[in-house]
Amino acid sequence: MKDVLRGKLVRLSAFDPEEMSKAFARWHRNSEYQRLLNASARRLLSSKAELKWMEEEASEMSPGGYFFSIRTLEKDMLIGEIGLDVVDWSGRDAFVGLGIGETDYWSKGYGTDAMNMLLRFAFTEINLKRITLTVFEYNPRAIRSYEKVGFRHEGRKRLLLNREGRRWDELYMGILREEWLELNS
Amino acid sequence: MRDLFRGELVRLTLEEPETRARAEVQWQRDTEFHRLADGDPALLNSERKIKEWFEKQAEEGFKPDRYSFSVRTLEEDRYIGFLGLWVDLIHSEAWVGIGIGEREFWSRGYGTDMMKLCQQYVFAELCMERLSLGLHEYNARALRSYEKCGFRLEGRTRQEVMREGRRTDVLWMGILREEWLQMQNGDGK
Repeated sequence: MKDVLRGKLVRLSAFDPEEMSKAFARWHRNSEYQRLLNASARRLLSSKAELKWMEEEASEMSPGGYFFSIRTLEKDMLIGEIGLDVVDWSGRDAFVGLGIGETDYWSKGYGTDAMNMLLRFAFTEINLKRITLTVFEYNPRAIRSYEKVGFRHEGRKRLLLNREGRRWDELYMGILREEWLELNS
Repeated sequence: MRDLFRGELVRLTLEEPETRARAEVQWQRDTEFHRLADGDPALLNSERKIKEWFEKQAEEGFKPDRYSFSVRTLEEDRYIGFLGLWVDLIHSEAWVGIGIGEREFWSRGYGTDMMKLCQQYVFAELCMERLSLGLHEYNARALRSYEKCGFRLEGRTRQEVMREGRRTDVLWMGILREEWLQMQNGDGK
């Protein structure tokens, strides 16, 4: 059997709140990263505050939250985070969130590889039916990456975001279990 | 659409911790009831302790893998028992435990009606693929009721429980989603 958590460029590894809160505090100093990741107003948190937020979030999501850190296979470097939140167990639908915090690893296929691993985990380990994500119109790099792993465009919230003096849509994308299995058989 | 919480004889509800504790403390005093429902030694707990336990459960809030119901009769609105579900979300399997603490409602179809509501909830609402349960071999009444609801005997752990100086088997039963759906069509529902 395949190692489910190991891809071509990265592996999904344990989410250690101590380590990740420090990484989050560092990555979030980059306002561009935050804007790609999040719709709310940008703010900076200490690693201690990040840790507190993580612990609250984790206890709220249990047992529907699955979080991983992303490490490169080559240098075992921590470059990002990825997580699933099962929003509806009856429908077996989950939201996925992904961020590559280390900007040196942008546009090189690392995010795509991590997303592929997470889809494999979601469909073959958690046995989910579909995965949903939202992405901002001004993030074409992410949109391309999601299209590559098989996500389809399902809808948009028009002009939801106000960034840099203009309004942008939030896009909804989704992939079904059968579609993913077909792409990866 | 059908009322998920209403059967032919009973309805599913959830009583407040005080009400649950008051009933539970009475039911616990019936050791025969306890032996049919549970494998642990018969123990008595104070109403206060039981209430605290139910309050803690209430404070934990919604958990998608744990469902608790109280059972009331449609006629006279009597609080007679409970129904609990433990769900394996990954493999879409639910485990059920039911009990009727009020003896005058034994052997009259109330348990069967509870189980039918439970199956409807598990398959039509939670979208589970199978429903499982276990019972003591000496609980012939329960076995008959579960068979009536379409459960199949899937296995037994031999001589698992020691009761009154004799060892007895634990029986394991299950019903699959397709089997339940087929029964619904057969009933013309």
